[in-house]
Amino acid sequence: MKKIFSIAYYTFVESIRNRIFYILVLFGVVVVGASLLLAALGGQQSQRILLDVGLGAMEFFALLTVVFAAVTLVLEEMESKTIYLVLTRPVSRSVYLTGRFVGLLFAVYCGLALMSVAHLALLLLNGWIFVPRYLVAVALSAGKITVIGSLAVFCSLFSSSAVSSVSFTVFLWVLGHFSEEIRFLGGKAHGFVPRAFAWAVYYLVPNLQYFNLRDFWGVPGIIGGWIVAVVAYGVLYSAFFLALSLWLFKRKEF
Amino acid sequence: MIHTLIMNAIEAVQLTKIYEKQHLGKISRTTGVREVSFAVAQGEIFGLLGLNGSGKTTTIKLLLALLRPTAGEVRILGAKLPDTGILKKIGYLPEVSCFYRYLTAGEILSFYGRLSEIDRVGERVEAILEMVGLAAWKDKRLADFSKGMLQRIGLAQSLLHDPDILIYDEPVSGLDPLAVQEMRNLLLKLKADGKTIFLSSHLISEVERICDRVAILAKGSLVRIIEQKEWSSKDGELERVFIGDVAGSSEMGRIRV
Repeated sequence: MKKIFSIAYYTFVESIRNRIFYILVLFGVVVVGASLLLAALGGQQSQRILLDVGLGAMEFFALLTVVFAAVTLVLEEMESKTIYLVLTRPVSRSVYLTGRFVGLLFAVYCGLALMSVAHLALLLLNGWIFVPRYLVAVALSAGKITVIGSLAVFCSLFSSSAVSSVSFTVFLWVLGHFSEEIRFLGGKAHGFVPRAFAWAVYYLVPNLQYFNLRDFWGVPGIIGGWIVAVVAYGVLYSAFFLALSLWLFKRKEF
Repeated sequence: MIHTLIMNAIEAVQLTKIYEKQHLGKISRTTGVREVSFAVAQGEIFGLLGLNGSGKTTTIKLLLALLRPTAGEVRILGAKLPDTGILKKIGYLPEVSCFYRYLTAGEILSFYGRLSEIDRVGERVEAILEMVGLAAWKDKRLADFSKGMLQRIGLAQSLLHDPDILIYDEPVSGLDPLAVQEMRNLLLKLKADGKTIFLSSHLISEVERICDRVAILAKGSLVRIIEQKEWSSKDGELERVFIGDVAGSSEMGRIRV
């Protein structure tokens, strides 16, 4: 555990000092601020627009950050040979990869927290009344980021090419938001192939809609058991893809 | 009479590595090293000489478990690889050291120190930075370091945990003459301290000055192992033997004059 913590800590420090990281976070803050313009067009719904667009923008930039960082986590280190001086120490590959992933996640969570502070300030300045549900929405975004991050690490180890890894992860991210629709269409389709494809997407690709609390914002009683189920879902999927990644990483040669 | 078996520091037995690449259904195979066997005694400086592409770096990576052998085995102080625990006893210096750019010198050494399970990491980092002449740069980011300074950090991280065995890949490559002399003196001092040093090089002049024995690789095969007494009495003997063993093994044609 000590080594996982050490690796996570230094990964976190390395990530937050990376120019690309804080440019993405800054850009996220700017876009959140720009959502004011959209909100101004919304009339009586301006606060709701500010809330939804802001949450969406924060999540988008946090996802961009985690996808690029997770894909380069191992690939860039292998190319630059930075990994040699870690793996030639008494550290198992599973400890190394887990520590790097945890450190990266915490860096992205910090970025998300920064953006949400800016977003919250903007909302409050516009007369919005704070509800604890907001924090749950941000936390569920963090859950989605964790799932996508683990997926991105898996894709990078599977394909060994940054471009194809990013593309495939983004593709799965899109699919994950249309799981229910694809299942519905699959049910209506004729032929084995479309039905099989729909089945595969629904059961293998994580359903990322579950993490979108903003879609159920107005629904009373949505908290509690539902949140626990979504968190468990996210943890299971992340653990699954991380386990697959560890298996692939152990087989890698440098 | 009691016979004490002194364990070898490093043993390579019939070490073979064949690289396989798959592309569009076709598999291509390249031999890295083939049936290489040698033993390095504790406390000696053992050199691995060879042309570019002869298998020196492949051999080193096999000794460090960065690669899995296609056949054969490696033992470090009696422990058969892969064995993560035995890596505590090894200090590795790659030909070109690459580090996390946004960490400082102190941070990167602390990081490595914690991974190597050193006690009192802070004190050890200070001492090693002092030793390599970079104490004043402890809080500077590695992105601001020159090539020579990065090489010193590379040296520092290889000695940080006081390993018994040092595996150095082309340790004098790219160094200026003063740095080469410093490296030579350091290696001899480390040997006097009881360390075992395994180094690869294609610079015969340095190898013949410090190595106790030298193995010559050509096209992935071990051609011979030669002892210091065989070359020390005759000027240029190691070069003559080396050129004789590797002539014709280079992938490139010779430069015509």
